[in-house]
Formats: sequence, C-alpha cells, structure tokens
Amino acid sequence: MGKQAMGNIAYNQLSRADTLLYLLAYPQRPLLTTRTIELVGYDKLGAGQNATVAVMSYSGYDIEDAIVMNKSSLDRGFGRCIALKKQTVVTEKYSNETSDRIVRPQNEPRKQALDDDGIASPGQIIRKHDILVNKQSPRNKRDKITTSLGLRDIDYAPSNVSYKGPEGETTVVDRVTLYTDKDDRMCIKFIIRQVRRPEIGDKFSSRHGQKGVVGTIVQQEDFPFSERGICPDLIMNPHGFPSRMTIGKMIELLGGKAGVSSGRFHYGSAFGEPSGHADKVEDISRTLVEHGFNYTGKDFLYSGITGKPLQAYIFMGPIYYQKLKHMVLDKMHARASGPRMTLTRQPTEGRARDGGLRLGEMERDCLIAYGASMLIYERLMLSSDPYQVQVCTKCGLLGYYNHKLKTSCCSMCKTGKNMSTMKLPYACKLLFQELQSMNVVPRLKLTEA
Amino acid sequence: MDSQPEPVSYICGDCGGENTLKPADVIQCRECGYRILYKKRTRRIVQYEAR
Repeated sequence: MGKQAMGNIAYNQLSRADTLLYLLAYPQRPLLTTRTIELVGYDKLGAGQNATVAVMSYSGYDIEDAIVMNKSSLDRGFGRCIALKKQTVVTEKYSNETSDRIVRPQNEPRKQALDDDGIASPGQIIRKHDILVNKQSPRNKRDKITTSLGLRDIDYAPSNVSYKGPEGETTVVDRVTLYTDKDDRMCIKFIIRQVRRPEIGDKFSSRHGQKGVVGTIVQQEDFPFSERGICPDLIMNPHGFPSRMTIGKMIELLGGKAGVSSGRFHYGSAFGEPSGHADKVEDISRTLVEHGFNYTGKDFLYSGITGKPLQAYIFMGPIYYQKLKHMVLDKMHARASGPRMTLTRQPTEGRARDGGLRLGEMERDCLIAYGASMLIYERLMLSSDPYQVQVCTKCGLLGYYNHKLKTSCCSMCKTGKNMSTMKLPYACKLLFQELQSMNVVPRLKLTEA
Repeated sequence: MDSQPEPVSYICGDCGGENTLKPADVIQCRECGYRILYKKRTRRIVQYEAR
C-alpha cells in the first residue's frame, strides 16, 4: 500500500527477478476500505494484515510508539515476510581469448551446496560464505596463450562467488537462471529466498502513519483477553493518539470491529454526510451494540498475568497493519577489530564494510569538557590508528628506524643522536607528510611527559 | 568420487524441455532455441524448518 509496506507487488511477483523483493507471506485485504480504494483496485494486492489491536499500556516496552506483539500471532503467521534477493554471476571473457570457467567441485569446505556442474541448485539451503558458483579465472588475463594445449588447471585461480547475507534465518536458493548477456558472456542469476518472522526492532505501521517498532514479544498466555476469548495481536500505547490526532485510526478500529462482527466491509472515509457513502461512527456503534459490544468499541479485558479484570475498559478492535521494509536483520551492526582503510589506517566506515562506530566531533567535545583525557587518547588514537614514529628533537622532523642497524636516524640532520620514539595517529603523520609535499614544514617540539 | 558424473540438465524457460550443457556450449534450448534456461531443483534431500 504505502511505498515502504510489504505485501504483494504484482501477480507475477514470484517469477520476477528483482534485485531485492520483500513479500508478505499471508497478506490480507483491509476490513475497512474507502470507495476510492475499491474503485482503483488498491486492495487487490494486499499489503498488510488485519491485526486485533488493544490500545493500552503494557510492560513499558511500548513507550515511544513501540508495539508489544503476541508471540502466538507471530507463530500463526502475522507479519511473516519473504525476502528475495538477486545475485548475478558473470563468467568474464578476457582480451587474450581466455575466459572464466565453472568447474565441478571437489570435496572442499563451503562447497556443499554445489551441484556437479559447479552451480548451486534451487531448494538448497545455504549459509553465510557458502559458495554459489565454483568459478575459476585464468591467472594470466593479458598475454596471448602460446602453448598449443591451451590453459591447464594450474593456470586458473579460484574466483568463487559466495553468499554474503545475514546469518540466522535459513536461506534457500529459490531459482537459478542461466542466460547469455549482450556481450555473449554466460551469466547465472540466483534468486535467494529468506522467510522472516517479525523480531524485536522490526517496523510496523497502520495506514495512518502511526509507525512503531516491535518493543517486545510476549507469550499469548500473558496477553490480556476478553470474555469472548479474543486476544489482541498487538498492543499499542495510547500516548500515540493525543498529539497526533489520528481520529481515522480510531474510526478504523470501530469500523473494523463492526465489520468482523457483521461480516460486511465498512467504508471508513470522512464522507459520512447523507450524500456520501461512508459509514458514520453512529451507525457503526449501532452495529456494534447489535452484536453485543459496547458502543464505544471498548472491551472488558482480563489481565493475562494475574487473571483479574483490568481496571479500565480497553479500546480494542482490528486495524490494518503493514510491515515496513526496515528490519533489524538488515541493519544491525557491531564491530570489535576489523578492516582498515589503506590511506589513513583508520577503521572503515559503514555497515557494508564492517566499519567502526565513529566517536564524532560532538562526542569528543563532551569528553574534552569532562576532562576525560585518557579516554580521548584511547578512542582517538589507540583504538583508531596508532603509529610509532622517530622524531628528531633537534629539527623536529620525522626520521626513520633502521631495522638492520637497530638505530633510528634523522634524514634531515643525517645523525641518529637526537632521536626519540613516540606514538601519534597515522592520520597525523600523513598530514605532516602532505604538508611537507606542499612546502610547509611542520616541526614537532617535544617535552618530557 | 565417481569418475563419470551424470550431466546436469536444465529446463527451457519457454517450452519446458530438458537440456544438457557442456562447458563451452551456448545457452540455448535444443528444441525451441529459447535462450533462458533454469536449473532443476536439487535432488538432494533437504529439510526445512517451519516455525
């Protein structure tokens, strides 16, 4: 429905080859629609599910728009989605009339998913770093092949293509397509499937822009229930209403509730005047009373934890909820030690490069203001890019260490007499050298520390 | 490891006929000349967890 919502995207969605495709496993049609939605056929492709929502506070894991989810609902398939990812492999052709080749795998590690043709086949369960194509590239890609026999096995270096995805949920090769592209190279397309159930941190939204993140998942046994045995699928905090004034959501809840009890889809638009067609709250309330509900849509609930009635009547009913494509599994990131940039020798940036978490300028300001000098030293230098340099105390320039003679020496003064060793960030040394290359001379004045 | 492995066959995207390919072959169906082939589902036993 919304552009971030998951659901059906097209009728041919399972035969397409999108780079990234999120689908809902069990999409539903909204209980409360508008005439426009019907006319446009907007509900033909479902993009969410009708969740029974209880508007109440529960456990404190629902503050700041967080949602409390019913674990049994998740087991029944609520919010379950399919992530389809495409991975393309090209067997390259080189200028010396050689090309990559795909060979039959020997019994090697991480190649258990491969078939006899060296390509993983559909239905195969794969894990992170598993090899999808057993590809080899010629070692010499430039010079003409002079031997009459052509290339032998040792002339090829492995250039395997592996799956780089998150660990956790089981991942399956869904489809494998072979084709030749415009340059007559053989290509293999893998559609890789992952079925995900909602977890803490996944984002959900109603159709009123009331988005929230799953704060906790609670057993159905601990969930509140009504006298009819109705148990909500999710609990939403009432603090989301006053400031946002989403009256439509409340009307959706009422209309949805009347809809399920009377077996008729209700219209929820704002046009309740006599010439309009929308169901007015008054009429909806009448329907609710006819089916034995309170006319305000509130229910008498028991606490699932104590078994006693809750102090207040709870506003509860179905609301169409969408799962948004922002999922923690795609975003979570942590790093201890890892890759570094070659130029600055500092940790890389970003999740895709397994980067570090930056202690930025403002955080640095806080530490300075507090006077935590050793912490700054540790974060900005020891954990980032420490580098040992030889400094000439006389000229203040950087020297070098002669590993053969085991002495340090200043290349300016041509002596090793006044050398001292110190640590500084590699980026700092880089700056000095760059300044020197521009005819600016930075000199270090050393004092005893 | 057996010395002579069974050749892997592929399914044509148009006519659905089965094809076998040798390393240097052009990817094309022998029956209808369609240029997209799909790999058949694995013959190994796989066990999926439904939860």
